[in-house]
Amino acid sequence: MLPWLIKRILMLVPVFLAVSVVIFSILHFIPGDPIDNLLKIGSSPEARAEMEARYGLDRSLPVQYGIWLSNVLQGDLGTAIVARRPVADLIAQALPHSLRLGGLALLFSTVVGVTLGVVAALSRDRWSDRAIMGGVLVGSTMPSFWLGLILILVFSVSLGWFPVSGARGWQSLVLPVLTIGLGGTALVARITRVSMIEASGRDFVTLLHAKGLSPLRIQLRHVLRHALIPVVTILALRIGWILGGAVTVEVVFARPGLGTLLIKSLAQHDYPVVQACLLMLAMAVMLGTLMGDILQALMDPRVRAAMT
Amino acid sequence: MIAPLRAFRHPQGGLAGCWLILVIAAALAAPLLTPYAYDVQNLPQAYQPASARHWLGTDEFGRDLLTRLIYGARTSLSVSATAISISVLCGMVLGAAAAWFGGWLDRAVTMVVDLSWSFPEILIALILVAIIGPGTTGVMIAIAVAYIAQFTRLTRAQIMMLKGETFIEAARSLGAGNAHILFRHLLPNALAPVLVSAMLATGDAIILEATLGFFGLGAQPPVPSWGGMMSAGSALVFKAPWVIVFPGLAVAVTVVAINLYGDALITELDIRSRLRREA
Amino acid sequence: MTRLFRKTLLSASVSLAALIAAQAATAQEAVFVMATNEVGAPTYNPIKATMLNTATGLIFDRLVSQAADLSYHPWLAESWEEAPDGMAWTFKLKQGVTFHNGEPFNAETVKGWLELFKTTEGENGYMAEAIASVEVVDEHTVKFVMARPEPNLLYNLSSTFMGVVEPKSFAALGDNYGVTEVYGTGPFKLESFAIGQETVLVRNEGYTWGPEVAANHGPAKVERLTFREIPEDSTAFLELKTGGVDFLLSVPADLMGEVQKEANLAVLTMPGQDVWYMPINVTKAPFDDIRVREAAAKAINQEEILASVFGGVGAVADTFLISALPESHVPDGAKIKFDPAHSNALLDEAGWAMGEGGVRMKDGQPLKVTLWTQSDSIFRRLTEVVQAQLKAVGIEAEITTFDSSMIRDQYKTGEQHLAVRSYNWDNADIVDWFFGGDRLGYPNVSMFNDPKAEELRAAAMTGAKNMDERIANFTAYHEYVLTQFPMAPIYQPVQAMAYSTDRIALPEKIDAPAFGAAAFLDLEVKE
Repeated sequence: MLPWLIKRILMLVPVFLAVSVVIFSILHFIPGDPIDNLLKIGSSPEARAEMEARYGLDRSLPVQYGIWLSNVLQGDLGTAIVARRPVADLIAQALPHSLRLGGLALLFSTVVGVTLGVVAALSRDRWSDRAIMGGVLVGSTMPSFWLGLILILVFSVSLGWFPVSGARGWQSLVLPVLTIGLGGTALVARITRVSMIEASGRDFVTLLHAKGLSPLRIQLRHVLRHALIPVVTILALRIGWILGGAVTVEVVFARPGLGTLLIKSLAQHDYPVVQACLLMLAMAVMLGTLMGDILQALMDPRVRAAMT
Repeated sequence: MIAPLRAFRHPQGGLAGCWLILVIAAALAAPLLTPYAYDVQNLPQAYQPASARHWLGTDEFGRDLLTRLIYGARTSLSVSATAISISVLCGMVLGAAAAWFGGWLDRAVTMVVDLSWSFPEILIALILVAIIGPGTTGVMIAIAVAYIAQFTRLTRAQIMMLKGETFIEAARSLGAGNAHILFRHLLPNALAPVLVSAMLATGDAIILEATLGFFGLGAQPPVPSWGGMMSAGSALVFKAPWVIVFPGLAVAVTVVAINLYGDALITELDIRSRLRREA
Repeated sequence: MTRLFRKTLLSASVSLAALIAAQAATAQEAVFVMATNEVGAPTYNPIKATMLNTATGLIFDRLVSQAADLSYHPWLAESWEEAPDGMAWTFKLKQGVTFHNGEPFNAETVKGWLELFKTTEGENGYMAEAIASVEVVDEHTVKFVMARPEPNLLYNLSSTFMGVVEPKSFAALGDNYGVTEVYGTGPFKLESFAIGQETVLVRNEGYTWGPEVAANHGPAKVERLTFREIPEDSTAFLELKTGGVDFLLSVPADLMGEVQKEANLAVLTMPGQDVWYMPINVTKAPFDDIRVREAAAKAINQEEILASVFGGVGAVADTFLISALPESHVPDGAKIKFDPAHSNALLDEAGWAMGEGGVRMKDGQPLKVTLWTQSDSIFRRLTEVVQAQLKAVGIEAEITTFDSSMIRDQYKTGEQHLAVRSYNWDNADIVDWFFGGDRLGYPNVSMFNDPKAEELRAAAMTGAKNMDERIANFTAYHEYVLTQFPMAPIYQPVQAMAYSTDRIALPEKIDAPAFGAAAFLDLEVKE
């Protein structure tokens, strides 16, 4: 297990380097210049050059990249140009909000999605199956900003149960979590249902039936276990969605978070912040892939056997 | 009978297919269907609820909402479909090349694709629009790029699977060249699943286009798009809720229809197992 | 799997419990929503910032306060005297005033603070430009030696940009000043600031030196103020309606009706300081032809916009300045008013003949121009109406929407033909700011650089010896700018705010031009 894990982690190093190059260079294609935001209007070219030198923007791109990467590796994410404070502070402000929202949305879509998927698979092709899968489909086809607004109108304005916006207290999490969670639920439910149905056809299930175990017990203890492998893999692979995919919902509910920070900094050409946000997302994605692999390995005896 | 028609025999598929035909036909025939122009303002008529004259009411400029919804279908459908077509083309080329040539090319493509597939499409699209600039073209390219990873993965997986099949071995032993096998045998066989998933992705692309429109980045006024209409409507929710409700319903119903019809098509083509592997 | 699942559930319930614990609310606190045009201010540094929000005015006191009638009254300065030739000002300072960090406020600190304007890189240096040096007469008396007479000095001293900064901490904190920490003498202290999200202020318990225009001179009645930044007006309104916040510092005209429908909400209006306008890029063809500029400007139907976009609240704008300013009183001929017949005639004369599809043509080219706007919904709505009005005289304008925080950079490219913008300022020197020949691109979006205008501008900015002269010079400068059509005035709103009458008790009278320190000192929260 350990050698496999080490090898797996080492494989991430070139990926990380490649990602960092992309993240660093892509921003320089965006028209506009953060220095314009800082300079006194009507400044001389000398003042501009001095300001560029101050932020290291006068060097060649590869040199800028080298400096940036070595700083990042030492944990220094730089200083935001427009927001005028350490990027790490901005990230530290935003990240907990994103993790809370994304984590709860993930939890919601997993619990609800798996439950619905199991119920649908157990009642395969009956009306309850159709109703669940139909409902789930409709839930996933509504644009999230639209769904968010409708939820606000119903639950905040008409019923007054939850706050309209912001990030004060758990009540303010309910509607955003629901908005994101409904989209994810569809994916989880669909995969759970299909894998359950597929796993039910496997040889070992026939064997268990032959042994005289109760069908429900077989489904919930053995079939579900198998069916969850693809669910876990997909969820782990899509971890970047948890952190970044909430952008629209964060905007609709006027919530702080990594997504809004990224969009705002992108609009302001605040390169260091955008780079740091993207890097955080990329690292979360890589971590998710790794976790997916590990979980898959732990849950699937065949993979476990192949590892040693 | 060919599969797209057979899909109509399924009750859900048929209903969904009819809706899609209706939407596309309405979008194409927009000027014939409505007496109003989508861009002529009639300010005294603003914020009218549904009536005999304006079936879905009017927007904040007194323009007929139904007219704008129909013209909006033009923008939303054409942008999404064009974007996905570009995406499919690029994805198939990349995926086929990776699977066929293998080696470092395959590893590099797989790495890039896996990573970008894990990023939310909305983020990729937002960053690309920031580079290209707002407007229909920018949004189209952004959506196309955001979905390339998906089609590359799928094509690659299909070709990898087919590579081992006996009929390929047979063709090879008969002396067929690389290009011949790739273009005559592999790609045609991989086409059905890719096209079906392209159709499903068009549904996602409609939502993505609407979301970019919500950020004010899509088609620029007065050209309507479903996203742009909802964006304007979001500021009027309590004054004229219909301005945001109807385009939202149009998006949701159309995307549901695409999914249901796509599902029926998958059953007819019997390619469910080949798509599942790529979930 | 079950174990994993149980663990996840457990950690989820722990974080939920932590969240609930964080909910403890404090009494005597109020939640405000920042005006939408103040969202995203990156710093509370008055010396450096180009944009300061309402909270800044509560952290920093000014030497002088301004009443609703725009007269000047004591604040940190007890009294002042101008030399007959305008070349010196003497200020007597209030005694017993301290900064939030304990430093005393006296003549030395005033001298140190004013020097910051000369040594700090930033846009605001012009505010103190006319002050050549500051002499400390005694501990509580300062004398400004002027480089030239500055009739506008008291206005500048009453502006938030001249909030009195404690110079030692300013030097010590460097770039962090105004971001992590900030020290003024104001009725509230900065507790926390999350850029673009929220600012929390707590009461300065020792505050007793409120401005003369306030009934309460301190300390403030409310202990704690939270300022939330919500970019969308409709979201902010829903928050107010559902009791999530207590006070909106801006309400757009089209929402005022919605506020008035609610029994427990009320609208507060004060005279406006904003002007909405359409800059016209004078360097970009076809607008390098003054006839085409005039035609575009006179195609704007201000009355229709006032009625349809702004619900009839506020007033039309026909000059570049708010009508409360004496410099806005230019001869009628210079005012820019809707005149489509004249527009059409001018375009015909300039060679742009009406073509097919209602778009004018000249030499085979259609009259097609760009029209830039920012992403806020009210801007987009107004811009679409402007687009339709231009179309009515045969000008096809193509809208491009930019993010509000990005659009300044875009203007610097000088690629725009037309744009829809607004500004917030109540002094005639705004004409200099937006049309000065040395600020092309931004703020001079019109790229206006005219030798005669520059002459008049110099006379207005630095040539006046007293207020009457300044008014005359600025009126002349303003009038000349208008006749060159570098912009079309559109609309002047009122300052409209909304609040919950269940929660907020407003003073009977707010004797100030804007909802600032005086209003916050007198404001009470109902329990």
